[in-house]
Amino acid sequence: MIDRVLTAFNEAIFDTDRERALRVIREAEQEGIPPEDIVFKVVVPSIHIMMKSTSERRTPSIAQHFVAAQIASEVTETMVSRFARSPEIIGRVVIGTSVGDMHGLGKRIVSGCLKALMIEVIDLGLNVPAERFVDEAVAQNADVIGVSSMMVHTARGPSAALGVRKILKDRALERRIKLAVGGAPYRFDHDLYRTVGADAWAEDGIIAGTVISALIKEARQ
Amino acid sequence: MITSMERLRAAVNGTPADRIPVFCNLLDQGAKELGLDLESYYTSGEHVAEAQLRMLRKYGHDNVWSLFYVGKEAELLGCKQILFASEGPPNVLDFVIRTLEDIDALEVPERLEEHPAFTEQTRCFEILRHEIGGTVPICSYISSSMTIPAMLMGMERWLELLLLGPVEKRDLLIAKCHEFFVREVQACRAAGADIIVYANPFGSTDFVPMNIFTSLSLPWIIRDIQAIGPAGVVYYCGMARMNDVIATVREQTGLGAYYVSPLDDLAEAKQMIGTQGLTCGVINDIRLIEWTPDEIRQEVKRMMATGMPGGHFLFGTGVMPYCIPEANIRTMLDAAYEYGQWLH
Ligand code: B12
Repeated sequence: MIDRVLTAFNEAIFDTDRERALRVIREAEQEGIPPEDIVFKVVVPSIHIMMKSTSERRTPSIAQHFVAAQIASEVTETMVSRFARSPEIIGRVVIGTSVGDMHGLGKRIVSGCLKALMIEVIDLGLNVPAERFVDEAVAQNADVIGVSSMMVHTARGPSAALGVRKILKDRALERRIKLAVGGAPYRFDHDLYRTVGADAWAEDGIIAGTVISALIKEARQ
Repeated sequence: MITSMERLRAAVNGTPADRIPVFCNLLDQGAKELGLDLESYYTSGEHVAEAQLRMLRKYGHDNVWSLFYVGKEAELLGCKQILFASEGPPNVLDFVIRTLEDIDALEVPERLEEHPAFTEQTRCFEILRHEIGGTVPICSYISSSMTIPAMLMGMERWLELLLLGPVEKRDLLIAKCHEFFVREVQACRAAGADIIVYANPFGSTDFVPMNIFTSLSLPWIIRDIQAIGPAGVVYYCGMARMNDVIATVREQTGLGAYYVSPLDDLAEAKQMIGTQGLTCGVINDIRLIEWTPDEIRQEVKRMMATGMPGGHFLFGTGVMPYCIPEANIRTMLDAAYEYGQWLH
């Protein structure tokens, strides 16, 4: 039965049909599927299925990522509040766009995917200076800092990822806090993440889930 | 001597020329050229025209721009705040549409020519036309009906409205933006634009899945292009990929010129467009920041070898990032002039 739900949910997300996806979840609940199963056997696998299709030639579009992330985080949030025992959070991420960058879409998609994977996300919003990324990461005891940038100058600038790296180094936090980056310039230059001193980058929100999960593991070692 | 305009015509028609046309899209670099900061640079149409002409003389490429920055379109629709950077393009800071009611209230100016945000562009056009009119193509950048809302409400909220509704508000907003689009194209053409770069990331399946492309993007593309006519219009998805829609767009709109993404397979694009139109091969200009001279030359050579056979080919760049070293711009252009020659 759960397979049927997963297929229906996944198809709805691929068709960017929010209403249908939510209806599938409602019906599953009515059929008595526990909220834990809805999250771990439907929502999380649906993100993994997207991950798989991402490696094929025609990757899912931004619109599909957007709807997937939106619904996944929405559903996870409601379901988690109904869990018998509160679930184990695998890690914590602070995320924001770099200084001068007002483009929040990428960050929002990434956040949605992370939440559905049981990663806690603290969203610092837009136009975030390097110091603030680090201060918040320390205050919130985060494992990973995520910096999103849509333009070349906001990706390469000294107060974007480079600035975060410098502060992490100066404060000897590099082992404890990892740095992930993403956004359009990284998609056109796959080595750029190294140039700006990041530990990793991800092409899209779904891959960000895998990459950031791995960084969390590293940080917690 | 052959002019840039003649080179472009030769490429479109498949007739002989010395070499293929080379478009190099330098915008923010104009400020550097005049020794100004970006904010003061963009206050004046004279600055922009003067810098476009200086860069043209300096580099010898085949196009100039009337475009200041894309956020100008939002200014024409009421945006009052632009965020200027010291080393990159200006961005829209204040969103005109904050609530769904703002969509009802949105007004499209009757006569753009009279709008204060357009007058400096008019001045820019006048100078360009006077100096190089008819010999070097003047390019204007116009966002599609479906793209303009991204600058009025932010991409996040626009995608939400686009995908999750309410549909009536979505359609009303696109319809208003369509009206604006048509007036903007008319105003730019009247002022002297030779080429309209039709910018539409929503015309790429990187952005929307094929079903939304077909049901929503395509009908608006058809309406946009029908309203302005396909002549002199270039299909451009903001550097997002377009190969899997080229055939459909051509069939449905008659558009001939495609500014393909560096992430597209150029050989495949060329094969589809063939001798029916103009394939614009676009270099991944974000890599130009760090590529060595040798890497730049190899890439230009590869693109020419892929795109030139059979003609109907143009070499172009995206919106060149501000921090590309001048030497790399020159290396790219020298390679393009060299490998882009037709050997008779
Ligand atoms: C759509 C688009 C536009 C639209 C909408 C922009 C907007 N968001 O408001 C319009 C047409 C309005 C536009 C305008 C401009 N654009 Co534009 N645009 C694009 C385009 C096609 C896609 C960008 C986008 O929104 N993607 C959608 C989001 C969801 O994707 P994303 O940010 O990449 O995020 C994903 C991943 O990167 C990753 N990710 C993102 N963040 C993070 C963070 C972490 C930690 C991780 C792990 C992963 C991750 O996951 C996300 C989800 O899948 C790109 C080219 C391209 N193909 O990417 C150019 C591009 C970004 N634009 C560019 C430019 C220059 C501009 C302008 C500044 C042009 C100008 N001179 O005026 C204007 C600015 C307008 C303004 N805001 O005032 C350049 C930037 C490069 C540069 N030269 O600096 C690009 C790369 C095009 C190019 N190559 O020339 N643009």
